[in-house]
Amino acid sequence: MKRRDLIRAGVLGGAVAALRPSVATAGQNAALSSELTPAQSGVDASKDLDAPGWKPLFLDAHQNETLIVLSDLIIPATDTPGAKEALVNRYIDLVLAAETRETQSAFLNSLGYVDGESIRRYKNAFLYLAREDQDDLLHSMAYPHNPSRWTGEAAAPDPGHTHFDALKRRIMTAYYSSQIGQKELGWDGAFAHGPYLGCEHPEGDHK
Amino acid sequence: MGQDPLLQTYDAVVVGSGATGGWAAKQLSEAGLKVALLEAGRAVTPREFTEHLPAYKLKYRDHSPEVLRTRPIQKQCYACMEYNYEWFVNDLENPYSTPTGKPFTWQRLRVLGGRSLVWGRQSYRMSDNDFKAASRDGYGDDWPISYADLAPYYDIVEKYVGISGAAENNEMLPDGRFLQPMKMSCGEVLLRERVKAKFGHTVTIGRVAIVTENHNGRLTCHYCGPCERGCMTFSYFSSPFTTVKDAVASGNCTVITNAVVSHVNMDDGSNKARGVTYVDRLTRQVKEVRAKSVILCAQAMESTRILLNSSTREYPNGLANSSGALGHYLMDHVTGGGATGRLRDFKTLPNANEPHRPNGVYVPRFRNTPSSPRHSRFIRGYGYQGGSSAQFDFNAEGYGTTLKHAVKDGAYGISLGAFGESLARWDNYVSIDPNLKDAWGIPSLHINMTHGDNEAALMEDAGSSAAEFLEAAGAKDIHVQFNVESPGMAIHELGTARMGNDSKKSVLNSFNQAHDVKNLFVMDGASFVSSACQNPTLSMMAITVRACTNLIDRFRKNEV
Ligand SMILES: Cc1cc2nc3c(=O)[nH]c(=O)nc-3n(C[C@H](O)[C@H](O)[C@H](O)COP(=O)(O)OP(=O)(O)OC[C@H]3O[C@@H](n4cnc5c(N)ncnc54)[C@H](O)[C@@H]3O)c2cc1C
Ligand code: SF4
Repeated sequence: MKRRDLIRAGVLGGAVAALRPSVATAGQNAALSSELTPAQSGVDASKDLDAPGWKPLFLDAHQNETLIVLSDLIIPATDTPGAKEALVNRYIDLVLAAETRETQSAFLNSLGYVDGESIRRYKNAFLYLAREDQDDLLHSMAYPHNPSRWTGEAAAPDPGHTHFDALKRRIMTAYYSSQIGQKELGWDGAFAHGPYLGCEHPEGDHK
Repeated sequence: MGQDPLLQTYDAVVVGSGATGGWAAKQLSEAGLKVALLEAGRAVTPREFTEHLPAYKLKYRDHSPEVLRTRPIQKQCYACMEYNYEWFVNDLENPYSTPTGKPFTWQRLRVLGGRSLVWGRQSYRMSDNDFKAASRDGYGDDWPISYADLAPYYDIVEKYVGISGAAENNEMLPDGRFLQPMKMSCGEVLLRERVKAKFGHTVTIGRVAIVTENHNGRLTCHYCGPCERGCMTFSYFSSPFTTVKDAVASGNCTVITNAVVSHVNMDDGSNKARGVTYVDRLTRQVKEVRAKSVILCAQAMESTRILLNSSTREYPNGLANSSGALGHYLMDHVTGGGATGRLRDFKTLPNANEPHRPNGVYVPRFRNTPSSPRHSRFIRGYGYQGGSSAQFDFNAEGYGTTLKHAVKDGAYGISLGAFGESLARWDNYVSIDPNLKDAWGIPSLHINMTHGDNEAALMEDAGSSAAEFLEAAGAKDIHVQFNVESPGMAIHELGTARMGNDSKKSVLNSFNQAHDVKNLFVMDGASFVSSACQNPTLSMMAITVRACTNLIDRFRKNEV
């Protein structure tokens, strides 16, 4: 169903249709289609990434495979689907392909850092490590190395965590903005859940 | 077939169809005047509203490279998105310049309705503490009008627009004619109770131009959330579906879209405006519209740009600029001071299926009020906008199953951010950049503005006070901000054609009529003498209606 049909079918349908006609007369010239965003002209791009025969636009095969594994470790399938099923790698590839060179190379640098550490510690690229070793490596990068509480020494630069965090942010954005991610947050697919009732507790008893 | 819209002489030509221009067109045409409403952009229809479209249906899920390519400045505004960026100006076609090291972010919409399509809808009255501020603390100039002059017009605007809010009887924030207030969350009620008990200050529900009851054919808000993408039920106020619609329905208003006005034309020898010239946005044909009065509502800096581009032999430095004040005293509220924290004791989990209230809480100005001592480090003050609710925790640490759970466990957040008064200063100004033209060949603006020491001191105080308020509510993990955001970021540009009683020091009189040219009016925020700290659009609209009432009167008396 198109967005407009959905709305017509929904609770607001009648009301919206009733309000609409008088309004379009306010201006003389009809809008030119080239001056609408794809969303405003009704394009639904939600299935684009599912296309059979999908190929990365920006990443090479190794980078793409590494990203799939990494994203699925960061957001694994549990009782709900994880990053791999949400095609997080495909979305990230699409966005990267359109980014500036600086942003592109920052991403590759972070991904490369993971492989670099993997080779240094386990003598092989991240993709080929045993699951435990992958986990071990991520664990060492996942948490910031805070300044010492005992000596008050400033924290040393923590490139491992910085790169991990950059990758994790991209993966989280990609996952939670997908349809799967929205379901993961419990969204039921309705666009409105009004009215807003607010706090109904007695004074001094808010939770 | 009616008459050719360009062959008539109208009673009034109104330039700009946004928050203020819509009101001018409505008031004048409903009073029986023949009005031409000129709008630089195209018409907008509800078919292009996207407020109910989930992000996963967008190709880039709101990270579109096209937005960054064509709207690098507009994109700095949260409301310019992959959904709606075509409503915002294309920065490549609409350039302006700033001096090195003095950035100004200028957010503009060029479509019927202007920024009323995406505005944040916060609507607050100003008081005599604002209109007469100069008399009280000695800085700058008083307005030539007082609260009593404007109050009846606030009433008219509020009754028509529909402002939801709660009366508070606060000396800095006059009450209005409110529709049902929206409700506060638990965290906000707690903040209200604690801030009142500990500091004696008021935390109130935001006053918003959103109807919470069916109103003038518009339906009550259904709390879907992202208003800046449009509203199928017209629950928030935007001019195309209210004032402009009424103007057209009166039978007296001709809307001409895609009309980019370049300058005002003067009648030779009579010191009267004859109308305006515009460039057709699509064909680039140059056309003239004739009218007995010219009313600029193109938003403060655009209206001033039109006047600066309308120089004549009599007015070599911009039309109606014998005072030299045209372009000067540019203001935009200062932002960047505030605090965020967490209410750790709150156990409410975030819920994706909750109503999204398009509003927050508001703290009216509490510094330098009649009942508080004068502050030693700054004059004037600031108000806070903020909110508190359970949120998904996308900043959760770690990875794997723990991360997935931590995101859903969320955190109960609380925050306050200030909008501070921007002092009117001569050296904050716009002028014409002789080397820069827009895509229609119209000379562009050079914008020269900085926030000063007073604004910085306001934000410094706003940061610490916000932290104290949140602490009083029991918040933990408090982060304080003392930033001074670059001018333009508040999107509340005001001044540049100020009103005043002295024609040597101001451009307009108290009815927004140019001192120099009696049938020329600027009825938008350009007329502001001081910025106060309240979001200004409600006051702009009240000023427009007051000015129109006076103009209609003068038409009736045959004075135009
Ligand atoms: C994201 C956002 C949030 C905001 N939130 C709030 C808020 O909460 N509260 C508040 O009070 N204010 C808010 N504002 C500010 C508010 O939108 C403006 O104060 C208000 O719209 C100004 O009204 P206006 O009529 O002067 O200009 P606009 O509404 O901007 O309308 C100007 C119109 O003039 C047209 N125009 C410009 N130049 C020309 C020309 N040369 N020829 C012909 N037409 C021209 C434009 O195309 C436009 O349609 C917000 C703004 C934004 C962008
Ligand atoms: S939240 Fe209310 S005002 Fe905003 S778009 Fe939804 S229905 Fe309209």
